[in-house]
Amino acid sequence: MNCLQYSVIFLTFFTTAISRAQGEAKAPDRIDLSSFPGQIVKDVVIPIPAEVFAVLDKVGEPDWESGIIHVESEVGVKDRGFLAMSFGSLVAEGFIAVQAQSPEDIQKIGRRSLVLAEALGLENAVKQHSLTVIDSAKENQWQVVRNELDKTQQTVRETMNQQRDQQMAGLVSLGGWLRGTNVLTGLIAADYSVDKAELLNQPDLVLHFREMVAGLKGPIKTSREMTEIETGLGRIDALMRENDRFSVEVVKQLHKITLGMLEQFYFDGPGN
Amino acid sequence: MVPAINSMLTRQTVQMTLLRNTHIWKRLALPVLGVIGLAGGLVFASLNEGVSLALEAATPYVRDGFKIREDNWHGDTKAGVPLLVKHQLFRGNEYWFWAATSFPDSTSSVGVFDEKGNSVSLEAFAKDGKSGVRVLPTKTGTYFIRVIVNSTQHTELDWGLVYGYR
Repeated sequence: MNCLQYSVIFLTFFTTAISRAQGEAKAPDRIDLSSFPGQIVKDVVIPIPAEVFAVLDKVGEPDWESGIIHVESEVGVKDRGFLAMSFGSLVAEGFIAVQAQSPEDIQKIGRRSLVLAEALGLENAVKQHSLTVIDSAKENQWQVVRNELDKTQQTVRETMNQQRDQQMAGLVSLGGWLRGTNVLTGLIAADYSVDKAELLNQPDLVLHFREMVAGLKGPIKTSREMTEIETGLGRIDALMRENDRFSVEVVKQLHKITLGMLEQFYFDGPGN
Repeated sequence: MVPAINSMLTRQTVQMTLLRNTHIWKRLALPVLGVIGLAGGLVFASLNEGVSLALEAATPYVRDGFKIREDNWHGDTKAGVPLLVKHQLFRGNEYWFWAATSFPDSTSSVGVFDEKGNSVSLEAFAKDGKSGVRVLPTKTGTYFIRVIVNSTQHTELDWGLVYGYR
């Protein structure tokens, strides 16, 4: 091996070591998603309703107050999974009330979350969050309320995950997404614009929920209510994939479908 | 908002303090923890150390009005192997993603790509194992977040990814 070969080996080693030490300062301009040379992370983080509500606030003046619907009692559901979905929907209700900046509604929702948490056996995990929500709403501290609602849902999901109950954690997310999408479609349909309707372009989230529901175990899987919810997700998926732009008719259809799904476990309605 | 993230950080910092030198723990303590039956709780803590540091990176942005999500992505990975996270973003929001690894002398990098694989990153930084990227989506839909953690001394590293929006 001559001097040049040694130099090349040394330089190769040296530059490799330097580049590893520095990491990758700048991400590439393009990556090949069809053959990604790494690890695909399967965990899915569902956006909270507040994320999409924030956009709606920027492009109009939605009547948030009209979107709040108080549920006084459970709609005859017995399975713990539906209680978990109701909990997720109730947290979404809280996000609507935050947008409406309505202390009375938030306090009602905070108290109701304690009742639901108790039914789920999670009162210890939820109590402090609910109390903070109630107290902060009294003082109009909306950002604190919003954070605390996010924490509430996260705490419930983490607690369920720690109890090796990923199925329940997923159902909390589904309930929250459904209620958020339901109010979003209602408000967009009431004051339609193409820009607002684009917020509904969420086909991969719907696919995630379809896969989750398809993988459910136990009596909830074959229940009439879950069959209706599964069918609804299929219809939403089809509408999202068939339409590049969501017309006002499509938005209204999405609203009607989500309402029918919520009537299976959250709202009182013909589904019960 | 700042008190809120401080509370998140305090909670994470307590976990971090428990396992300040995670890499040493991973080599020496995990088998013992498994035997004494505490592995569940403490492994959970160690998994979140990257998240704690990512939240630290996020702190200055909170003052600029970014709302940091409680939910996050985290785990362990091989050094230099890219990770790909799929996530829904909404046009009209501005996002920052922050990634971190807790190992000394390690680096992290984060980028965001659209569904065709084109970078949509507007601004980025990488320093002391923490990194961040800013995105203003031009379309509502699915995006891909690519994270790489790297080290000259370790082959396996922890990682955490958090995001905020405004």
